[in-house]
Amino acid sequence: MVKIEDLKRINLLKKIPEHLLGIIAKEAQLSIFGTGTQLITVNEKIDNFCMLVMGQVAIKRNITPDIDVILEYIQSGNSFGTSAMIEGTTAFYSAVCQEPCEIITVSGERMIQLFEENHELGYYIMMDVSKRYKRFMDHRATMILKTLSDDLDMKEDIYETWIMSMSDNKA
Amino acid sequence: MVEQDILKKILFLRDLPDPLIEKIGAIATLETFEKNSVVFHQHQDLTHLYMVVSGKVHFTIKSASGKALVLDKIDEGRTFGVSALMEESSSAYTAICVEDTTVVSIPGKKMHQLFVEDFKLGHILMLKVVRLFKKRMEMHTRQFLLSLSTHSEIKSLH
Repeated sequence: MVKIEDLKRINLLKKIPEHLLGIIAKEAQLSIFGTGTQLITVNEKIDNFCMLVMGQVAIKRNITPDIDVILEYIQSGNSFGTSAMIEGTTAFYSAVCQEPCEIITVSGERMIQLFEENHELGYYIMMDVSKRYKRFMDHRATMILKTLSDDLDMKEDIYETWIMSMSDNKA
Repeated sequence: MVEQDILKKILFLRDLPDPLIEKIGAIATLETFEKNSVVFHQHQDLTHLYMVVSGKVHFTIKSASGKALVLDKIDEGRTFGVSALMEESSSAYTAICVEDTTVVSIPGKKMHQLFVEDFKLGHILMLKVVRLFKKRMEMHTRQFLLSLSTHSEIKSLH
């Protein structure tokens, strides 16, 4: 169990009414992880939704066996592993502690159960998760544009290029 | 008002119980856009979400030099403009019809009101939004990583 006050410091939960935070607080726990701990592995099931109280976590994915791209650094107050709360999904990225981290964790399976028992909680959390995904989507679109604009060989149809690339990979 | 049989063809609404579909139908309208019409522009505030009944819509983003990139292609049964469900949300892309297109149009504020009156509906549909966004975010990230891996400076590292 953690204090409601601790949850109020988490950006994703800032608009969640206090009576709902109380439900999450009962299920959450505070853990400490050392530098280099891999919390999430790409393509594997995510067990816990994680909220960073202190430290820094890198979110990354490789583009070649030798090159990892860091998509984001998670700082205190931010969260990751939201896929743990979406049934049947796996991780799209890896998450690694860049320094010792204090993290509030809550079981994804338990959260899904709680959402079924309390749709108000499910609604508010899903609304905030979707806002977070929207920010990421917009950010990625900007990154694509920047990368392609920087390059002289700019593609007009990134969707087709991507689809073709996926077909090539499958073949 | 939009009939249930039309709404049931929309993937986003698939599996919803009839009473919930009926509530959504009551606040929805059908709209038709001619080929090359813009449904909304990049950076425009979103007020409605749209579900494609027939036709095709492309999402494009524009670079500083004015060149447009196609990010995604939306056809029959798919939904877009979902950010209208969130307060103060603007579009990251322009949605343009590449064929004559008929859409179900739903005001975001009215849908939001339905959610607050019926949290079960809100939870079910926002979970669908999250799944939709997760899929699109992953697609955009793959597109970004692909664009990065083909970038001349990255190629030079190989």
